[in-house]
Amino acid sequence: MNIENTQSQMRKGILEFCILSIIRRGEAYPSDIVEEMRGANLQILEGTLYPLLTRLKNADMLTYRWVESNSGPPRKYFSLTPKGEQFYKELEATWNELANAVNTLTSKQGSLTGSMTNGASGESEPQPK
Amino acid sequence: MKKVININFQGRVIPIEETAYDILKEYIESLRRYFANEEGREEIINDIESRIGELFAERLKKGSTCITDADVNNVIAGMGRPEELEAEGAETTGTTGQQQTTSGSQSASGGGGTYTPPGRGRLYRNADDKIIGGVASGLANYLGIDPVIMRIVFVLLFGALFWVYILLWIIVPSQSVQSNVTKRLYRSADDKVIGGVCGGLAAYFNISSWVPRLIFALPLVIGLLSGPLNWWWHDWDIFWGPKIITSSLGSTLFFVYIILWIAVPVAHTSAEKLEMRGERVDVNSIRNTVKEDLESFKSKAQNWGNEVRQTAQQFGERARDWGRSASAQTKTYADDAGAAVRRGGSGLGHAIGVLFKAFFLFIGSMIALALFAAFIGILFGGYAFFPLKDFLLEGTWQNTLAWLTLFLFFGIPLLGLITWLVRRIIGVQSRNHYLGFVFGGLWMIGLFSLIFLVGTLGKEFKTRSAVNEELNIGPINTNRLLVDVNNTGTEYYGSDWFGLDWDDDWPFYGISHDTLMLTSVRVEVLKSDDNNYHVSTVKYSRGSNPQQARNTAQKIQFNPVLKDSALLLPRAFAISRDDKFRNQQVRVRIEVPVGKRIMLDRSISRYDWFDIRYNRRGFDIDVDDRWEYWHSLRTGVEYIMTPDGPKKVTDLDPQELGRGNYVPLKDRESTDTRRGDTATRYRYRPGRTQESDDSVISNTSYNSEAAGEPESSGSGASDYAEVSSPMTTLLRLFQ
Repeated sequence: MNIENTQSQMRKGILEFCILSIIRRGEAYPSDIVEEMRGANLQILEGTLYPLLTRLKNADMLTYRWVESNSGPPRKYFSLTPKGEQFYKELEATWNELANAVNTLTSKQGSLTGSMTNGASGESEPQPK
Repeated sequence: MKKVININFQGRVIPIEETAYDILKEYIESLRRYFANEEGREEIINDIESRIGELFAERLKKGSTCITDADVNNVIAGMGRPEELEAEGAETTGTTGQQQTTSGSQSASGGGGTYTPPGRGRLYRNADDKIIGGVASGLANYLGIDPVIMRIVFVLLFGALFWVYILLWIIVPSQSVQSNVTKRLYRSADDKVIGGVCGGLAAYFNISSWVPRLIFALPLVIGLLSGPLNWWWHDWDIFWGPKIITSSLGSTLFFVYIILWIAVPVAHTSAEKLEMRGERVDVNSIRNTVKEDLESFKSKAQNWGNEVRQTAQQFGERARDWGRSASAQTKTYADDAGAAVRRGGSGLGHAIGVLFKAFFLFIGSMIALALFAAFIGILFGGYAFFPLKDFLLEGTWQNTLAWLTLFLFFGIPLLGLITWLVRRIIGVQSRNHYLGFVFGGLWMIGLFSLIFLVGTLGKEFKTRSAVNEELNIGPINTNRLLVDVNNTGTEYYGSDWFGLDWDDDWPFYGISHDTLMLTSVRVEVLKSDDNNYHVSTVKYSRGSNPQQARNTAQKIQFNPVLKDSALLLPRAFAISRDDKFRNQQVRVRIEVPVGKRIMLDRSISRYDWFDIRYNRRGFDIDVDDRWEYWHSLRTGVEYIMTPDGPKKVTDLDPQELGRGNYVPLKDRESTDTRRGDTATRYRYRPGRTQESDDSVISNTSYNSEAAGEPESSGSGASDYAEVSSPMTTLLRLFQ
């Protein structure tokens, strides 16, 4: 159980960032976002997405507009607000730091895969001598 | 063929199977619950619903006529169930969508329908969660309670419910029932004072946690308090008095607590905590629980207490399984022995090996049962005998040893047995073996304390002293003295909880809170040196040294009273709590002059002669040694004192008697005089009339020398009392 916890913690950490990065590229509605993420090999449940979007929207990071659809009820299309853009930038910086740190560390073992094998807490670990 | 209904879903009419609609509805409800605290909940739900609506529309467009169960399930899987949402955040794995749908459908197929509300359903035996036949667990599922409780009930009421169990086992069909029991008994990790037992119980039964605490603690506290209180209010001998609650109930609940502490697991994870409270383990409640936990974890003291308890528990488990592994080892030794013999080749050897094993097991279980029975006996009898404790034990050291012995020597095997039993029932795997070690160690301590206790107690009884006292009763102006027991004195009534009556079987007679009445009295008749009756008493007692024994003996109060021609002896003598019970005894010596008669009333046979032999170093006797002429007499028979000792009046020739001669009757059935040995036995000749009385006051401990009287060769009856009646001790053993 523990490993799954850690793994899901890792994911949760970067979800918002990923979502914001997708929306940043252009207006998107939830289903699209899910598709994008799946395409990038990051699986997400729609049920996770909606609350996240709503939270971001309530925090004024996102805004939306309704778009009528002929094949169903109207859809919400989300786009980034300026505040959201700023938020995104900060997250990006953090992400870069993290990625560098992790990469540096894991490269010492000779493998440089994208998988993060150290904790996702963001604290740097003492380097083994 | 299924019923299809039309629903208005997000502004569109959608035909959907009724069962599918139920599933959908349940899912939406669960989402609602999940997002209960979420800001913007309605919006989220709405978004999700409209997404679902979209998906349905696509489905319909692709050619289905209506939405089916499978469609709904797929949609839900895609959306994500609340548990999945919270627990994972995303998917179970990071790879393929296949995994996701697989996991989704797996949790869907558990019970045949996805969101089946936990209904009662039919009674089945649970095929998955079963120890013997799954009866208890199936029943528990049906009733909606924790199988553990059910099992414990079955075990406790084993006698009554045994047949019920068998019946159910036969009748009720077995099925893999999805356990809808969401309430299990755990120990609470947060709400705990000692071990969280009461907290867990409170959560399980949905009551405040102080209620079980009170139930557990109150009898114990009352018991502890009432110990000294009893001495003040000792006339609280009401039949249903508080003693029941305090002593037996208190100690029982104490043990119940200990057992629960050991056997019931602690709710660690959030899921377990929720199960403890019986809330549905879904995301919402987990979230709430986690919040609470975070707050409670702030208290460091609790964490520390946790660790301490865990180490202790591990230790205990280790000790427990050491005990088990020890017995397992003996089993394996027996196994090896059996195997070795088997290798020897003969089937007989194999049988012997098996017998060997069985023998060990049998012995082990017998010992356990014996200890168990002894403990139960002590627990119950302890209530009756508890007042006696102070008469026996002296000082804090002995008292401590006694308690240690009781609880450790007797209680630990019992505890171990019950723990093992409960563990088996619950199905808890013990990871460490510390408990066995702890139990084994405690039991050894109990053993040692038992040995010490016996040693120290024995020391108290080491020496025996006597105090001789001539009583000035009289003058006794009669020719025939009747010795009787004074029953008109204070009667000691006491019937206690078990309805015990003080009767002849008890060596003591009557007990109140500070005195114990003993009936260790013996009456002896000797020939008097002069023409008068004399009455004296010899009081015995034991003690750790002669002086102490003598002091204790001195304190015995035994005062015969002369009334007309009857000597009335007290029914019993009293020893006080301070004096302790040290095997006090009283010998009443009555010297009868020759020619006078004496008769012991039958009630004298009700005296007992409680005697503790302590043969390792002998015992000290410090009395006069004028024991030549004492004899034990039968009660209810009149004797006359002859120069040769008391003789039954019926034995002697009446005419000669009138003339002052003591001539035995020709056809007497008396002692076999021809033998001339120092010890004879009385033999009953069948058809004898009167002397069939209950008991003869027999003496068992004294051997005194024949003093001087030559043993005649026994040539037959002669006129004067040259009959060689036995001069010395008569050891008569009567059946």
